[in-house]
Amino acid sequence: MIHFERYILKNGLTLLFHKDTTTPLAVINTLFDVGARDESEAKTGFAHLFEHLMFGGSVNIPDFDAPLQMAGGESNAFTSNDITNYYDVLPKTNIETALWLESDRMLSLAFTAKSLEVQRNVVIEEFKQRYLNQPYGDVWLELRPLAYTKHPYKWATIGKEIKHIEEAKMEDVKAFFKKHYCPSNAILCIAGNFEFEEIKALVEKWYGDIPSGIKPARILDAEPLQEEYREKTIERAVPTDAFYYAFKMPERRNELFYVADLLSDALGRDKSSRLYVSLKKEQQLTAEIGAYITGSMDDGLLIISGKLNDGVTFEMLDNALWIELEKFNNHPISSDELKRMMNKLRTSKEFEEQGLLNRAMNLCNFELLGDANGINEEHLIYEAIHPSHIQETAMHILKKTNCSLLKVKAISNDK
Amino acid sequence: MINRTLTPSLKEIDKIDFIKPAIFDISSSVKLYSMSEVPNQTSRLDLYFNAGTILGEIGTASFVNSLLLSGTNSNTSIEINNEMDSLGAFFESSVSNENAMVSIYALKENMLAVLSILKDAIQHLAFHEHEVTELVNDRKQKFKIGMEKVSYLAQRTFQQKLFNHPIYGRIAEETDFENVSISTLKRFHKDFYLNGLTKVVLIGAFSTDEIDEVIDMTGNWAMDALPTFNEKCQNEPSKTHVNKEQAVQTAIRVGCMLFNKKDPDFIDFQILNTILGDYFGSRLMTNIREDKGYTYGIGTMVAELSEMGYFLVATEVGSDKKDATLHEIEFEFKRLQTELVSDDEMQLVKNYMLGQLLKSADGPYAMMDLFLQVEPFSIGLDYYNNCIESINKITPDRIQELAIKYLNWDKMTIVTAG
Repeated sequence: MIHFERYILKNGLTLLFHKDTTTPLAVINTLFDVGARDESEAKTGFAHLFEHLMFGGSVNIPDFDAPLQMAGGESNAFTSNDITNYYDVLPKTNIETALWLESDRMLSLAFTAKSLEVQRNVVIEEFKQRYLNQPYGDVWLELRPLAYTKHPYKWATIGKEIKHIEEAKMEDVKAFFKKHYCPSNAILCIAGNFEFEEIKALVEKWYGDIPSGIKPARILDAEPLQEEYREKTIERAVPTDAFYYAFKMPERRNELFYVADLLSDALGRDKSSRLYVSLKKEQQLTAEIGAYITGSMDDGLLIISGKLNDGVTFEMLDNALWIELEKFNNHPISSDELKRMMNKLRTSKEFEEQGLLNRAMNLCNFELLGDANGINEEHLIYEAIHPSHIQETAMHILKKTNCSLLKVKAISNDK
Repeated sequence: MINRTLTPSLKEIDKIDFIKPAIFDISSSVKLYSMSEVPNQTSRLDLYFNAGTILGEIGTASFVNSLLLSGTNSNTSIEINNEMDSLGAFFESSVSNENAMVSIYALKENMLAVLSILKDAIQHLAFHEHEVTELVNDRKQKFKIGMEKVSYLAQRTFQQKLFNHPIYGRIAEETDFENVSISTLKRFHKDFYLNGLTKVVLIGAFSTDEIDEVIDMTGNWAMDALPTFNEKCQNEPSKTHVNKEQAVQTAIRVGCMLFNKKDPDFIDFQILNTILGDYFGSRLMTNIREDKGYTYGIGTMVAELSEMGYFLVATEVGSDKKDATLHEIEFEFKRLQTELVSDDEMQLVKNYMLGQLLKSADGPYAMMDLFLQVEPFSIGLDYYNNCIESINKITPDRIQELAIKYLNWDKMTIVTAG
């Protein structure tokens, strides 16, 4: 049980407080309800570029990191297609330094030309390092537009192309801040050995006078129901053929989301999963194979991916994979199989909740879904799942007309 | 309205409680370290073996480590993995120069049952031919993928030139995957696992009886006397470029052989290392990322072995920025040798390091990991109190002295790949 308190400031900022008496540290986690899905198609990569700029100084404080380091703390952030999340970890005695820094950058940024110029370059190098200069690094840049035709999930958080980042202008930056970075669009979670009243007073002190802003309405292009099988082959100078089967699955708030999560575990979470055992161990078709879900807020993807063994063709794999997937029609998972997955889930959750930062992040995530207490109730949803639910969901999701396949064909670099 | 231009006042960290694990004898030389103050149901078990990559033929240590759950004469690898997964356990294994280890993460209630499966799997490991063939093929594929990454290319050449030693500096080639002999693997397993246990680490709210069971189950693998390592390496000062067509980034590695925690300069050098490249506000990050935008990240570290250590600068930069970046790294070395660190920067690094030390002592898992960082050198947790003292009293002059002594550009091994 993760205990928490909630307090909503007049300007709309949601504060969550989680008390942990065992730690000398404090965590300040701030979730902004904005991600790459909120970008326009002509200016992608912006939510992520903006995350970098949030460290470039705020309206009253020229440098974000140095004062936090002076207080013994550390900070970082990440952007997904759905959210942007910032966190600070520091000795609890210096918590006010973090609140001072975080509240000032929620109030307004410094918007210096130098910061924009440098962070554009840094993000371009990040683009190269993670997406272009790695074997298979550009797979998600190809897979997203294959699986999504309308919804903004069709581009990656890093952006569709480097050009969009190169062309980012200061006026875009300012407009993005004004629209998305306001108290009413944020969830703040503070965790540590404090009293709730003390935290409420500190948060009122530092955040209370920030103008509320208007929580932006989110109107996104809905992804039409996929009704046809899609397939694309790209040729790359990589050593081995690789495959990525992407199946559409329900959005985060749907109960079937959890069923699809267990389905992906059954297929390919670990070395006792169906695909690993059948396609890798028994049939020796793949060197690697696994299954997972993207976990996104809107309609997500269940991915089955891996690499072929030498001498195995895409066709051989494809035949064997569909036979395995169709087995769900006649063979629902056994109660032993389900019990195994539930035991793994329980272990992961216990370990995940060990960390103070994880607890604070998850509280914010569940609050965004509707109620932070979801963190304590999620296991009930999993526990209610019956093998027949997984079978129904499997038959619904794992079909050709719901599938987009990306094949990476290995070609020689020597030509 | 509050005045947002005023910095809130800071409190300094004066004291950190370092908690020592309980120590139990497995044999006269092999110990079990236990941290039982865990406020939840999680637990972790680590088994350390004298089965590092410096032993045996190249590749052997790593293959055996990866094959530990590959099956016995009565259980297949699928069955073993299924049993472990059914208990909700996570298994990890890894190998370094001088050590091999396996770890289990599980709920406390399942740990002994998981250990019993692991015990049987390792004790009766059969090295089935199809499992060995499968692993060798997987490894060959991973090797080829690695060779497409500039970071991997730079790292392997760096390792060769850094250790500059026939064993520590050896690196795998594709041909090494061709002639893996099962009898060699079997011999290695018998010599270095079945008679190679050097340490057991247990975290979780276990009773003394449960700890005794762990000792009983692992005891027959314990070594009679712990291994000693005597080799000392000297890096080859040189500059090497590994060509990789069409790469849009170049990986850079700069470093030299150095010392480990046993050396009296170690703690102070860590402070210098932090200033130079071991935190977000470091000299290298500020210059090369935050001022010039050449890279997504650059960092430095000190890595340790039993009788030596090494210093390393690592980054990946835009292909046209290789020379400019090397120039800036050299510039930052020289600046630390010729200019005193300002009082403000000194204070910031002190506070930052103390805050990070507090963080690295937070909770039973972190505390055990801190202990494991000093245990191989036979220096107790007092080391961390010495760190606090050294951080508090270090001066800019001392930093300069160490920069002159150790950051000698002409003695560095420099490798670039791209």
